[in-house]
Amino acid sequence: MTGVSLRDVVKNYGDVPAVRNLDLELPSGQFTVLVGPSGCGKTTTLRMVAGLESVTSGKVLIGERDVTELEPKHRDVSMVFQNYALYPHLTVRENIAFPILARGGDRASAMARVDEVAASLGVGALLERKPRALSGGQQQRVAIGRAIVRQPQVFLFDEPLSNLDAKLRVEMRTEILRLQRSLGTTAVYVTHDQEEAMTLSDVMVVMQDGVIAQMGTPASIYERPQSAFVAAFVGSPKMNLIEGDVVDGVFRAPSGLLVGTPGVRPGGVTLGIRPEDVLLGSRADGWEQARVEIVELLGPRAIVSLEAGGVGLTAVVEASELASVTEGSLVPFSVRARALHLFDAGTGQRLA
Amino acid sequence: MTTAVASPSDERDALLDQGVTGRSTWGIVGRLLLVAAFFVVLMPFVWVILGSFKTGAQLNDPALLVFTPTLDNWREVLDSGILQAAGRSAFVGVTTVTMSVLVGSMGAYAISRYKAGGGATRFGILAAQVLPPAVLVFPFLAISFTLHVNDTLIAVIAAHLSFVLPVVTWFLIGFFDAVPRELEEQALVDGLGRFAAFRKVVLPLVAPGIGASAIFGFVLSWNDLFYALILAPGSAATLPVRIAGFNTFRGVELGAMCAAIVVSIVPVLIASFFIQRRLVRGISGGAVKY
Repeated sequence: MTGVSLRDVVKNYGDVPAVRNLDLELPSGQFTVLVGPSGCGKTTTLRMVAGLESVTSGKVLIGERDVTELEPKHRDVSMVFQNYALYPHLTVRENIAFPILARGGDRASAMARVDEVAASLGVGALLERKPRALSGGQQQRVAIGRAIVRQPQVFLFDEPLSNLDAKLRVEMRTEILRLQRSLGTTAVYVTHDQEEAMTLSDVMVVMQDGVIAQMGTPASIYERPQSAFVAAFVGSPKMNLIEGDVVDGVFRAPSGLLVGTPGVRPGGVTLGIRPEDVLLGSRADGWEQARVEIVELLGPRAIVSLEAGGVGLTAVVEASELASVTEGSLVPFSVRARALHLFDAGTGQRLA
Repeated sequence: MTTAVASPSDERDALLDQGVTGRSTWGIVGRLLLVAAFFVVLMPFVWVILGSFKTGAQLNDPALLVFTPTLDNWREVLDSGILQAAGRSAFVGVTTVTMSVLVGSMGAYAISRYKAGGGATRFGILAAQVLPPAVLVFPFLAISFTLHVNDTLIAVIAAHLSFVLPVVTWFLIGFFDAVPRELEEQALVDGLGRFAAFRKVVLPLVAPGIGASAIFGFVLSWNDLFYALILAPGSAATLPVRIAGFNTFRGVELGAMCAAIVVSIVPVLIASFFIQRRLVRGISGGAVKY
């Protein structure tokens, strides 16, 4: 097994920097997800690993091999694009066999391998069809089949699920993960969907403006975001972020909202509260009042939009606790004191 | 009660009737227009074909549809070496088109993918078309004299390349634009080099465009009179030059000319017929889900 390393990689398009001094070690055999808003450099990074994009400076290594100057075909990677990029003039069979035949592989053994791969992906019956005769989900499976047919050192995925409908997306997500686990191949996956990133990744890399904002396991990033950007990006519904000042150990929003933050140095602070850490109830002791604006029931849980002293707050509560929560009413609320995230208002960095 | 139930369906039936009659009225008008257009297009062909079997006297009566056909015109035309001229025209056309497609496909690819020559090339490539052929033909003649290729097919092919190649290139740019970049990138990752990806993945997808541009280019070359007449008026004369030759100092030999014209239109019709199926095929259906 082989990991992927990027050493001090810079990519500029003319004068516009896309990736700045990126140092990234993607562990061997693991599923790494690069996630971030559009324009953060995640796709550019993936394409530099594939060799579809040259690096302005720095090195790209696959295992111990320096592949910085190698053509894509010599890098021993396979890739799945967002639009599947199936060859429209070839049948499904020829599409899946393409990476083997393009490298001069033996036709008979390639066909045997195609049958094996197609069967494992449930597209065995479609082998003689052309891609345009397939549904989106089937096309996706064929594209994945083509990626795994030739056991490469690294799988690269560029938003492969974005064109599928929600139900199929969840299905294929599980399937991709199952495949990667069973093959044990290093995988790099790019998405802008933080939920996809959370569910798929062994290692999650959140990118912002061409640099790594935070890297770690999804759980560690969710529990301890290192900046207000990461805090806002990871998690759904979004973390509540409230601007304010800390004076004498108490966070004070301009609107009047007060939250005890003992031990925090005075100054401008952004307070982050995960929606599930906003508590609603009937206990009024030391709690504040909030007006319920909208209740969105998801089944077992509900998203409640609140307004407290001019500040919008989102809470996630168990459906069973909704009895006293009706749109337009006032409810007492509090926040879990141990679950507060504090960020410097200027730099956005986490305060210890 | 009954009326309340019946009226909506009556209304619907009435609407349906209206729709059907409306549609069929317009359908009939449309068909008639098509038939009329068909005859308008067909008329010159019919006239020329009939004319090739008429005597000089019969030709003076264009409305004459029933007559005793004569093969004199055909005998005269075939004896005049028209088939050899057609062969030369075909050779010039095929050579010009082959070279144009070979060079033009690569040029169009470069312009489409790499903006070769900047944004102006895309249309600037047609700039020479704006010049009247008369401006270019004398330099061509002077050069062909210097190179001792005047009155040879080489001179004609060179001149034809000057307008067929840009048109073919320009025509193909749009087809290359329509091939998703990811397909090539996929091919690169899957193990092909740049040129192999172009040849094995991109070219098959623009095949309908290549077919169309080849036909188009061939017709341009096949029909050219001006360059061929000036650069090769003698022993290497092409078909249009020979056809024009029936306009003699004794007047126009209309019957023979009609026969010669039939010789010149039939190959193009046949070629178009065989390639048209490839022309209408979608170029990259199913490649990409938008």
